[in-house]
Amino acid sequence: MFLNNLQHELATLGRDRWVFLVIALFFGLTFYALHNGAEMVAERQQAIDKEVQRMDSLETVRAEKILAIEENREAPPEDSWRDPRDLWDMSYNTPRVIAMQPQSLTLIATGQSDLFPHVVKPKLYEESYRLGFSELTNPVQLLFGTFDLAFVCIYLLPLLVLALSYNVLSSAKESGILPVIASQPVSLYGWLLQKLLIRFLLLSIIVSATILIGLGWQGVDLVDKLGSVSMLLGALLLYMAFWFGIAFVVNLLGKPSGTNAITLVALWLAFVLFIPAIITQTTTSLNPVPSRVNIIHEYREAYTEALNNMDKIMDTYLRDHPELAVRDTSQANRYGFMQRTFASAGVINAAVDPVLNDYNEALEKQQAQVDQMTILSPALLLQKVFNQTAGTTAAHYTDFRQQIIDFTETWKEYLKPRMFANELLASTDFTAFPRYEYSTERVSDNSGGLMLLLSVFVLIVGGLSFLVYRSRNWELVVN
Amino acid sequence: MGHIITIALKECKEILRERRFQWASVIVSILLIASTLLSFQYYKSVKQQYELAQDNARQKWLGQGERNPHSAAHFGTYAFKPRYPLSLIDSGIDKYAGVSIFLEAHSRNEAQYMAAQDQTGLSRFGDLTPDFILLFIIPLLIILLGFNSFTRERESGTLRLLKSQQVPFYALALGKWLGLFLLVLGLVLPLYGLAWLLLSNLSDYGQFNGGALTSLFGVYLLYFMVFINLTLLVSLLAKKSNVAFVSLLGIWMIACLVIPKFTTSLANQLHPYPTQSAFVENIKADKQAGLDGHAPWSEKAKQLEAETLEKYNVSSLEDLPFNWSGFLMQESEKADAEIYFKHYALLKNIYQEQTDVYQTAAALSPFLPTRFLSMAISRTDYHSHWNFADAAEKYRIELVGAMNGDLMENSRTGDWSYKGDEEVWASVPAFSYEPPTLSAIMPLHASNFLVLGFWLLATALGVLLATRQLTVV
Repeated sequence: MFLNNLQHELATLGRDRWVFLVIALFFGLTFYALHNGAEMVAERQQAIDKEVQRMDSLETVRAEKILAIEENREAPPEDSWRDPRDLWDMSYNTPRVIAMQPQSLTLIATGQSDLFPHVVKPKLYEESYRLGFSELTNPVQLLFGTFDLAFVCIYLLPLLVLALSYNVLSSAKESGILPVIASQPVSLYGWLLQKLLIRFLLLSIIVSATILIGLGWQGVDLVDKLGSVSMLLGALLLYMAFWFGIAFVVNLLGKPSGTNAITLVALWLAFVLFIPAIITQTTTSLNPVPSRVNIIHEYREAYTEALNNMDKIMDTYLRDHPELAVRDTSQANRYGFMQRTFASAGVINAAVDPVLNDYNEALEKQQAQVDQMTILSPALLLQKVFNQTAGTTAAHYTDFRQQIIDFTETWKEYLKPRMFANELLASTDFTAFPRYEYSTERVSDNSGGLMLLLSVFVLIVGGLSFLVYRSRNWELVVN
Repeated sequence: MGHIITIALKECKEILRERRFQWASVIVSILLIASTLLSFQYYKSVKQQYELAQDNARQKWLGQGERNPHSAAHFGTYAFKPRYPLSLIDSGIDKYAGVSIFLEAHSRNEAQYMAAQDQTGLSRFGDLTPDFILLFIIPLLIILLGFNSFTRERESGTLRLLKSQQVPFYALALGKWLGLFLLVLGLVLPLYGLAWLLLSNLSDYGQFNGGALTSLFGVYLLYFMVFINLTLLVSLLAKKSNVAFVSLLGIWMIACLVIPKFTTSLANQLHPYPTQSAFVENIKADKQAGLDGHAPWSEKAKQLEAETLEKYNVSSLEDLPFNWSGFLMQESEKADAEIYFKHYALLKNIYQEQTDVYQTAAALSPFLPTRFLSMAISRTDYHSHWNFADAAEKYRIELVGAMNGDLMENSRTGDWSYKGDEEVWASVPAFSYEPPTLSAIMPLHASNFLVLGFWLLATALGVLLATRQLTVV
């Protein structure tokens, strides 16, 4: 029976011009979306490369100048601030470039990547970088969002599924062949399931092939990324299975094609537009995180306090860090400003950190709450799989912010003892500088769990279909 | 005319009796009211935070203690972007733009802390705010109610009957149009009333402008009219209800979801914004080539020194009738302000080019002009954000200028012990920002009105033409 059905389906679908149109549309949209994603990634990579190259060339020039002084080819400049060996001047004019490199699958989902900068050069003489960073963008673009593969798969693909499945039973009924089918030695449930299963399999092959070809076309190493890509496709197929399942249930209700179409569109709206919007709005309105604006206030408070008590702070700081105290008192330290900055940073951060931590905790709690809500819609689950695979979730950017803070600390720790010891830079120092390398290690990926939840959705609609089938009086439906 | 009203009333009655309308209208009404109340709640809490923050910033500025006025300019203060009452209806770009700008000597800073940065990817699906319902959901409702207006008559054979009774089809179309419009109006009017009630009860009633609220609803009504036209047009052209429904759904998808995203990607590729770091780098390069107030030893400073000494006919800086450092700082501030002005003008240029791309795309989607008009009237568009940022920059220049001026006038060159006090800090009034008035905004959006008007006329004409060619079989 299955083979007969398969043969019949292939023949009818093959004759249907709509099916080809729909497939061509998906093909076109996927390729366009991937092209867009790749452009965004290229732009990001270009910006990073430019900054890194700039830093490298500045370092090379400085190293050459220092070497000339070391080899007595040139005399050190009279003004100390012009001296290329000055650590402060180096840290100011050759700032460290902290860059978040795109992942090889970043092109599939913009996620939160359009909100944040991917290259940051924190200033050493103030602490405000700890409060956050923004990218320069047109907010209208952020509001509308970009046309990426995630959009095609989350929003548009379900409609494709629904278009292929909304009237399987109803059209059979409307064309009068349903009684003929009902007289065959197969249950209507089994017949419909087979028909939809065949369509699901066909669409799965088309969708997977399109995405694989598209990714390959954009230069993604599919062998290297086999794990992530198969996880992504697995989640996508489950998402499609869910929508086919929904269509299955709605078909089984035995209503006319028009009603089916409206019901399914309403469900699409509910899962893809309403549930996410309701979750966001209720959490932000009913459980708002205190605004970052409050932290500014605390930061200013601590900053003023530190400025007013600079001398005292410096004394205490040196008492706490005897290793940094000046040994050679005959010479004034050329880094007086930075010494005071380092000393006050501790005081400012000690005052701001509790507020910042409270804020981050409240935020984490709220985000965890929102995260739990993702189980309310498969669209949200799939979005998360996409963003995780792309490395563009909010968690990735929170982690990047922490990596910036950590690396800046490392850089300061490197400079601090040298500045307190009134040292100058040597031409060989550059190779020993701490270097930043972006890593996604600390961001947990729960795509497996998300796939499990997607399977639960598929099982629920499966169970629902069975209940609906059992509850219907099929004699009435067929005739 | 009699025909038309009879048809409109019959249409209304029929739809009102339908289960799908009852369900849909109940859901949409609940969502509209819930979203308005939720946004009102949010508006109030943000407003409170804003007032507190603004107040704190001023107190910090006044209470910074005695110090050199230029140090006070470095210490700086913050400008906070107020929320405009109509953001209750359309929050626009609010969550994608920063809310506070740090105002300090030598630097123009970008607005910081956008709300979206503290949300997860889920928030990118959109928020349940009234604009979401008005822009996305009500058009869908119109489609749902009207997709079979004509196909149903055709399928049930009543079109033939109507023809035999010599009902002109244009009257039929007009009647159906009116029927749909009255139903939509019935859904939206309560929201208008609720918004009016909430807004007029706000403590800052002064900022609330009934005219703006009415214009906002006027724009949405135009938008709904376009969708009613489109729905009737497709229903007239389609042979079957199913085909009409699927086609209209496709039109909705393309107009409301695909084209805005597509245009965004296009605008970004055609006219990309520089990255933050490149932008800062360009400004830094210009500044290094210019006058640095903190580097009196630099060539440019030396040149200015010679010129000033000559102008005042004195031989040393100490003999000048003012503090040279204050003067130098202010001159460099002026030069910096010009550099910022130049670079922000370049940025604005890109923004304008991107806006032009959106305006062109508006010919393909009535969603776009409506979205832009709605945000503009609600003062939650990008233009309003620029307006705020420019006002903050103007204030920064005044603030820093006053500080440098005080240093220059009230101390002598080389006197580093001079300190300003609260009286000096209070000499600069607190930052206050009033968004542009409705009449100032409207002319800027003439093209959006034109495009929306074009959509209205073109679709209306389409409906009339289609009724002429309507055949009963």
